[in-house]
Amino acid sequence: MEERKPRLSPVKLALIVAGVIALGLYIWWVQDWHQIWTITSAPDNVPIVAMLFLVPFFTWYGIKQARDNDRLVNQLESDPQLAKTHHRKVEPWRPGWARELHVWPYLVRIEFLAAVIVTVILFIWSITLNAPLEEPANPNLTMNPSKAPWYFLGLQEMLVYFDPWIAGVVMPSIIMVGLMAFPYVDSNPLGNGYYTIKQRKFALLMYGWGWLMWILLIVIGTFIRGPGWVWFWPGQTWDHNVVVFDRNIDLHDWVATSWLGRTLGLGFLSGGIGKFIFGAIVVGAFYLLGALFFHWLMMRGGFDRIDRKLPWWQRLKLWATTPDEFERKLLARTSLLQYLTFQFFAISILLALPIKLILRLALNIKYVWVTPWFNI
Amino acid sequence: MADAPETDAIVKKEPDKPVRDPIVSRSTSGILFVCAMLLTGTLAWALYDEAYGQRAWKGMQQEFVKRYNRYLRRQLSRSRQGGPGTEKEVKESEEYKALDTEAKEAAQSVEGRRKEIDNQLAIIQSRLDAITDPYQNARGYITVLNYKIETAGKDSAKNSLRQEVAKEREQQSTIEIPAEDGSKRVQSVKMNYTQMEALYTELKDKKGALLTEKAELLKKPTELAKKRDDYLKENVTGLTDDQIRSLIRRNENFDYSLRQISVLQYDIVDRCETCHLGVREPVTLTPTAMAAQRKKPDALAHASVSHPSKELLQIHNPERFGCSSCHGGNGRATTSVEKGHGRHKFWLHPLWARENMEAGCQQCHSQDRVLQFAPTLTEGKDLFQNRGCVGCHRYEGFDRETDALSNARQTIKQLEEEISNNERESRLARDESGNAEDDTAAQKLLARAESLRVTNSLIAARIEQLNTTSKYLMQDQKKVGPNLKDVRLKLRKEWIPEWLRDPQNFRPGTKMPTFWRIDGRLNQQDDQQDTREDEERKAIAAFIWQESFDGRVPERQKGNAVHGKELFETRGCMACHSIDEGGQRIGGDFAANLTRVGEKASYDYIVRWIYNPRERWAPYCPKEKRDLTREDYERNGKPFVFDQDHSKCPNDGAEIQVQNMTVMPNFRLSEKDTEDIATYLFSLSNQSSWPDASFMDDPKLKDTGRALVRQYGCANCHEIKGLEDEQRIGKELSAEGSTPIERFDFALLTKPAEEGLDPETFKPFKDPQTGKEQERPWYNAHGFISNKIKEPKIYDKGKEKEAKDQLRMPKPFMTEEWNRALTTFLIGSVGVEGANVPQSLFYHATDRQRDIQDGWWVIKKYNCMGCHSIQVGQNSVLMGLPLYQSSEWRDQLPPRLTSEGARVDPDWLLRFLHDPSLSDESGRAAPGRSDKTVGPGPQNAATNNQYAASQSGTSSSPPVAGPGARQNGGGAQGSGSTASGPAASNANADHARLKPQPGQDRNGVRPYLKARMPTFSFSPQELRTLVRFFMAVSAQQDPYIPEKLEPLTEQERNLARQLFTSRGAPCLKCHITGDPEHDKTALAPNFLLASERLKPGWTFRWILDPQQISPGTGMPSGLFKKDGERWVFSGETPPAFNEFHGDHADLLVRYMFELTADEQRRLASTSPPATSGGSPAPKETNGAAAPAPQGVSRAAPRWRGRTRRNGGSALSYIRPSGRAPTAQDMNVVAVAHRRAVNFSP
Repeated sequence: MEERKPRLSPVKLALIVAGVIALGLYIWWVQDWHQIWTITSAPDNVPIVAMLFLVPFFTWYGIKQARDNDRLVNQLESDPQLAKTHHRKVEPWRPGWARELHVWPYLVRIEFLAAVIVTVILFIWSITLNAPLEEPANPNLTMNPSKAPWYFLGLQEMLVYFDPWIAGVVMPSIIMVGLMAFPYVDSNPLGNGYYTIKQRKFALLMYGWGWLMWILLIVIGTFIRGPGWVWFWPGQTWDHNVVVFDRNIDLHDWVATSWLGRTLGLGFLSGGIGKFIFGAIVVGAFYLLGALFFHWLMMRGGFDRIDRKLPWWQRLKLWATTPDEFERKLLARTSLLQYLTFQFFAISILLALPIKLILRLALNIKYVWVTPWFNI
Repeated sequence: MADAPETDAIVKKEPDKPVRDPIVSRSTSGILFVCAMLLTGTLAWALYDEAYGQRAWKGMQQEFVKRYNRYLRRQLSRSRQGGPGTEKEVKESEEYKALDTEAKEAAQSVEGRRKEIDNQLAIIQSRLDAITDPYQNARGYITVLNYKIETAGKDSAKNSLRQEVAKEREQQSTIEIPAEDGSKRVQSVKMNYTQMEALYTELKDKKGALLTEKAELLKKPTELAKKRDDYLKENVTGLTDDQIRSLIRRNENFDYSLRQISVLQYDIVDRCETCHLGVREPVTLTPTAMAAQRKKPDALAHASVSHPSKELLQIHNPERFGCSSCHGGNGRATTSVEKGHGRHKFWLHPLWARENMEAGCQQCHSQDRVLQFAPTLTEGKDLFQNRGCVGCHRYEGFDRETDALSNARQTIKQLEEEISNNERESRLARDESGNAEDDTAAQKLLARAESLRVTNSLIAARIEQLNTTSKYLMQDQKKVGPNLKDVRLKLRKEWIPEWLRDPQNFRPGTKMPTFWRIDGRLNQQDDQQDTREDEERKAIAAFIWQESFDGRVPERQKGNAVHGKELFETRGCMACHSIDEGGQRIGGDFAANLTRVGEKASYDYIVRWIYNPRERWAPYCPKEKRDLTREDYERNGKPFVFDQDHSKCPNDGAEIQVQNMTVMPNFRLSEKDTEDIATYLFSLSNQSSWPDASFMDDPKLKDTGRALVRQYGCANCHEIKGLEDEQRIGKELSAEGSTPIERFDFALLTKPAEEGLDPETFKPFKDPQTGKEQERPWYNAHGFISNKIKEPKIYDKGKEKEAKDQLRMPKPFMTEEWNRALTTFLIGSVGVEGANVPQSLFYHATDRQRDIQDGWWVIKKYNCMGCHSIQVGQNSVLMGLPLYQSSEWRDQLPPRLTSEGARVDPDWLLRFLHDPSLSDESGRAAPGRSDKTVGPGPQNAATNNQYAASQSGTSSSPPVAGPGARQNGGGAQGSGSTASGPAASNANADHARLKPQPGQDRNGVRPYLKARMPTFSFSPQELRTLVRFFMAVSAQQDPYIPEKLEPLTEQERNLARQLFTSRGAPCLKCHITGDPEHDKTALAPNFLLASERLKPGWTFRWILDPQQISPGTGMPSGLFKKDGERWVFSGETPPAFNEFHGDHADLLVRYMFELTADEQRRLASTSPPATSGGSPAPKETNGAAAPAPQGVSRAAPRWRGRTRRNGGSALSYIRPSGRAPTAQDMNVVAVAHRRAVNFSP
């Protein structure tokens, strides 16, 4: 929004038109509105439906705030004189105004209003929507689909992609420990107490990635997964009698039986120690490549640091090849332990989860590394 | 904070005017005010929701009270105007006025004294009031002083206190007391404590005495007033004005609150009456009564009505059962109609729809075959049994014989295995004993061998018993469809494929369902489908044709169709069968419509069938699993005879199937009559020609055919060679109604069902009346089942399936009403686990109630209700036939059996049911019958011996096969044995010849009836069940103890004779006498049967007022009138009766029970009355007769419970200990049965 343009760029216009057409086609293709309504109107799903709107809104709002701050930071950095007076972001300081404002009453009254509004919303919600009760438990009949509470649906969805032990125990532990550890691996002193993108680009990216991934899993678990935990696109009827052909294959088998594998005589990968070693190599390579990827990513600054006048592909090339000074400084402040800890958590979760998800959904790969003790 | 960012505001230049800092200066009070209002609003909303929103019933209750009171007031004003049955009308009646006057007079007569007493009481009370307070004060003070004395330490202190007490007692106090004369004057009297005490006691005593006197005085007037009020209450329809007023008063102080029935013990909490307030109101509330003013009844009016059956509520007291136990629904929910009625997706017991309401009964009454208050449910059970559902679907308790039979056979198999194991072991032991090391060891082994042999003999005895059991079970086991082993004998070959194609087309309404042509309609007809179905039909027809008995029924001559028509219409055939007459179906739908039988069947076979449907072509041995042939018998040197008395396999001694498994009984018709009926039936249709069916002889089709017959479960309803032991192909339905919705396979119709679309068109349902489209979700048990019954293959719609994987259920003939009944039955079948009712509340029948239900199974099985009315209010099929609408034909209706148990002797009933022709008693009293009344005759001794013998297990030895053995009561044709001896030359012809018909053309009790009670060939088990049913229904005592009659004196006999033949009571005019000339016109049973058939008590009640017992009977009522305590003949009595002071009716009954054939003949010959003479009295009664005291007026009949025979009745022998008959029972039954049947000693 920094530049108000009178008209949309052709690219954007094309994108919007294409989006509208795609949406229209989808609506035309989707016939089972009944099904969509059944899912969205279930009282259990109200928080998730709300989330569909609230998450983008607050994300956008947070970004907007951060960009305002960033702009201020830019301005103040370029004019040290101004920095002495202009601390305020939304209502920049003017002569005669107080340089600093008290929490009471200026902040507290706004917080009070927010509390009142939330209370009203909760009142209305609890009056109009009663707690949903379902049938008494029947040990002879498991409900189908059998779904966890919405906040655990992400975990449940992970079970599709990993062993129960990995998905249910190891990864949640890593996530929790990781969340606890991140403040200590953070060597960036900036950005405390205000929204900013510019000063915490990488941290923000990593957190946003993980968080949105989690939300995505919940949305998939709620709206996509039907009876038998089968993938139904929104608007497809959840058919209890649905029959799907889903033949999953381990990566080593896939390689061994592929055309390439057969030509190269990689049949030994299918059995015994061969598949173990193969899996170990793949996973090791994944960690190595992942570490390189994150290292590379750490050094990228914002795209806008590159000269805007250049064509976009040149900008992209420059962006991808030249490290950002600010980020380089930050990396220099980081200790080896901090660096390695971050790399471990980032690769194990942030990278491993989406990659496995794509492998499973797109390529029907079951496991990458099969050992007698665990499968990944 | 402002939301809109001033992004371009960061400028260095100062504003022209100083601007105030918006954050500091901006007021938030506006938005705060809005938010505060919102918060207040939602708070108010929350409070409203808490008080009313969640408690919608409050509004309902208010509206109910308003409407109810309006209705009550209307009732009151109607009463004031004095409509029929109102209080005003009753009060104006003579009786009420008389009572009222009497009561008022009584009250008047004591009025004076009562007033006096009241006055005195008033004075005494006022005086008492005046003195009570000072007296009690003084007494209290003195009591305190006394306490102080008791607790004071020193004597001196005590003394001073005592003085104080004395002073206090003497202390004068002034009392303002009303005068004694009631002048309301108040005197001031000074009194000390003692005086006060005296006066107080005196007043109290006086008051008590007066009150007692008053109560005594008012006793009579109160009683009279109560009598008057009771009269009022009894005669006012509805409530009296006072009651209505008290209801209005109650409504004015109506307690608006939750109405809850809570039965902790059974975990029932029902709040249904919170909204349905009218359910238990004393006034009968209808929707019209509860409609809002000048409006049509709305939903609330319909919800506020009284329970439609107060009787049901009495049986199922809501305080004990709640509401939801029977009706379903969520009794706890009060927030919305949907929730309360359990129409919520997850509530397991939704309210039964009105049309399926009786499904709730099935939860607890699943064992009951007939349920009085649930006609729809009972109809559902009838259909399930009669229409053959039970052929493919097991349902607990429905297929009793087959289940029991397979159990018995299983046990026999196990026992036989055990025997052979024991034999082997015994042999081994014996062999080993030869090689034993020493003598002791050898002895031990030999003893072991011996004990095994003994065990084997015990097991053999058990097998014997089981064989008897299975014999009778086999006799009782029936199939829904005809025996397909007979098709070659019975059917026209070309007709079979035509029939298979669509039975409903050939014979609309037949039990045989349509197996094909369904798929075509569902999934776009295509040629491939047609070809396949055609192939299947051909293969099945060929298989059945080739797997049939090969033989020829001897040719029969054509008979007289006109006579045949008469027989068909009058003998009772139409109680089960129907024919089309003038395009309309007439007759019962229990069995087939016979209009087109001539188009399909062989005349000769039909004659044979009508003559005796149970006559089997060849017996079937379940052990060898094949049909036996003449060779089997000849090889073992036995004559080819098989019937109930010759039911053992000649090869291995197993019990064999000797009868056709049909419920059709034997009407004991002569061969001629049979031919006439068959000729008539064949005259109803023209011989049509069917397409060529030569493929049916193609042996290649046989195997395919067998596989298909098995796939479609044909053998579940038909007897088919090689498939006699086929398992049911359908699902067990005992608990179908409680199947979780997910387990019902709606297949591709799940979505339409959930959305409420028509499964045929996938569009919303159309209302037949308004034509409006409406979505009616049917994703529930009711929807699944009713649609399945309507179109069984519907859930294959759109499915891609191999032919063999398709749903197998064929499409039955089904009316809307039947569908409703069957659906009600099935959705109510929830099993124990699925019931909404706690198991401890289930209905548990007592022995007698179980007897009734057991009996219903048999009655429904044989369609007894086709001819008889068994329940009060139930009409038989015959009653509805056009023929029986005229009055003379109404006399020809078979008897009502509503009080049969009270009427007849159970022993006799057993005999009669076994052989309704009573063929041994033609015209003469059975030998040894009448001595039953005086003591144990030789026959009883014999039967007792037989009974004893049976207990030792010897009497069930196989019957002796021989020419004489088939003489079952002696054929009326007089032919001896037709059983073929080895000498029989033309085996086939002999085999097929019609056997003599025992009891031909005889009706045992009512020879005058054209309709004939057929021989059903009940097994002893069924006979017992039926007899016990009739006894239980009439609440007869169990075991049965015959009443003993006092013998007549000579003088009494003469009197009775005169009365019997008097002009006023021409008994013999209507009753059968045995004289063929007379009997032509007779319309009532022979008196000779009375002594053994009837119960004296019932007979007494019967001759007093027959119309009360059997409305519409030809027997006249009012023959006797009450004279003091005795009944005297109301007609003209012979002069000799002037001296007789006994009960006339009693006299007649006793005479009737002593009547002998000789005496009857003598009576009949002396047509003029009063020809009393010294004719010899029957010998039998003379011996034990004791002269009865003369001239003593007897108030009641002279029989009292004493056993007539020392042995008790046969029934008491066969009384079962539990529900299922044990083999021993069966043995005993067998003996009782044989005794009842074979009258030869």
